[in-house]
Amino acid sequence: MAQDHNEIRVRLVTPERTLFEHTAQSVELPSKAGYMEVLYGHAPLLAELGAGDVTLRGGPGGDERYNVNWGFVEVLPDRVTILASDALKPGEIDVPRAEKQLDHGLALWKQAGESEEAYDEALRIIAEAEAKIASASQP
Amino acid sequence: MANVLDLRRRIRSVKNTRQITKAMKMVSAAKLRRAQERAMAARPYARMIASVLVSLTRRIDLFDEETGNLRHPLFTTRPEKKILLIVVSGDKGFAGAFNSNILKTAFQFIQGNPDKEIDVEAVGRKGRDQMRRRYPAATYAEIADDQGNLRKVRDRKARVEVTGDHPGMLLKLETDRVFAMAQSIISRYRHEEIDAAYIIYNEFKSVIQQRLVVERLLPLIEIGSQQLAGAVEPTVEERERAAQAALTAGIELEPTDTTEADEEARKFGTAQVDYIYEQPSEELFAGLIPQYVSSMLYHAMTESVAAEHAARMTAMDSATNNASEMIDSLTLHMNRVRQAAITKEIIEIVSGAAAL
Repeated sequence: MAQDHNEIRVRLVTPERTLFEHTAQSVELPSKAGYMEVLYGHAPLLAELGAGDVTLRGGPGGDERYNVNWGFVEVLPDRVTILASDALKPGEIDVPRAEKQLDHGLALWKQAGESEEAYDEALRIIAEAEAKIASASQP
Repeated sequence: MANVLDLRRRIRSVKNTRQITKAMKMVSAAKLRRAQERAMAARPYARMIASVLVSLTRRIDLFDEETGNLRHPLFTTRPEKKILLIVVSGDKGFAGAFNSNILKTAFQFIQGNPDKEIDVEAVGRKGRDQMRRRYPAATYAEIADDQGNLRKVRDRKARVEVTGDHPGMLLKLETDRVFAMAQSIISRYRHEEIDAAYIIYNEFKSVIQQRLVVERLLPLIEIGSQQLAGAVEPTVEERERAAQAALTAGIELEPTDTTEADEEARKFGTAQVDYIYEQPSEELFAGLIPQYVSSMLYHAMTESVAAEHAARMTAMDSATNNASEMIDSLTLHMNRVRQAAITKEIIEIVSGAAAL
């Protein structure tokens, strides 16, 4: 391919194993502050990921999407490495469980009172569950 | 003296036992192979987390000017008065001295720190049963604070108490559960319920490279290096037995070479460039720390599972060998008895004929 050099190598690593390692045209990441898209030649960057979808565009097997919650990413001009504590394909998401998790999170949020820690924890659970449900409902 | 029929029955029974132990050995070997693969597969993540943390500590100014320590709650050391001890044992028996060695080390640790309060957290059924028998479970009292909210407060009655167990955790190792456990440990450390956390588990690099270690989990002092508080190496005989069992079961003695993959993983987050930090670097650092602790725990558990299967494989190999030896000696004995009976009959016939 003519644009070979315009491709980035993307690695997705979870605590259990290296999920995949291949090239893609671009990759979209759910950084904590919002989604960002990384193309070839991006400036070196380190970022924490929130809950959301990692989307690979123009990979060998077409577009691919993974739902992650909490992660860490290193971007180098020609390489992106994503450390995710959990990565699921949209089809693998257990929607009833995510909904239960959402209810649980909302309940925690109501109980949190003045404790900042409990509040953050509840928000984290809610964000994770919402991202899962949104990811599963997308085509 | 036993007759031939009795001996034949005994031989048959020992043969059956040998079949079972042989099957158990092969099952353990298969499980060991899977556990080894899983431990391997988990390595890149742990390495990457550690290396990015090391590189972050070098790049950003996180150090406290007064003490020279890292400015993070998990790096602050306090005098050790209350200790959390995590004991990782096996779920099942038939593994030789595997579980009893772990428990022995745990009891030694507890006896070696007589002036400290110790909370025990047991992972694995065998260890949990023993710990529960010996030490009482932790009790909590509910106290209402000034707003009338009920709060659970620890009500310590004994010096050593069991604060929790995790049934089935090793059966199906899930990172979510390990992470939840790590977070509970971290929160206890932050709230000064504990001053240090130690973990006792069986380290497993390969069949012949394994040992029982006591490792410090918290406080973190140096990232990326093991903080050993004690280790028990296996004896030469034990190692030879394990090597022999592995050979007959077709398990490789040397660990698979992963230097290249390790080097690759070590590069994570350490390129010689100026990174842009999407979030403030302190925040990145704080977000990574729980993952690091969790990966240490996960690592300990995967290794312990592999070691348990290896111990069972070795024990069952010894049992199979013993059964074979027993069959041989019983067969020899049986033949002698049969021979004696025949000889006796011949003598009777001959002397009977001579008397005629």
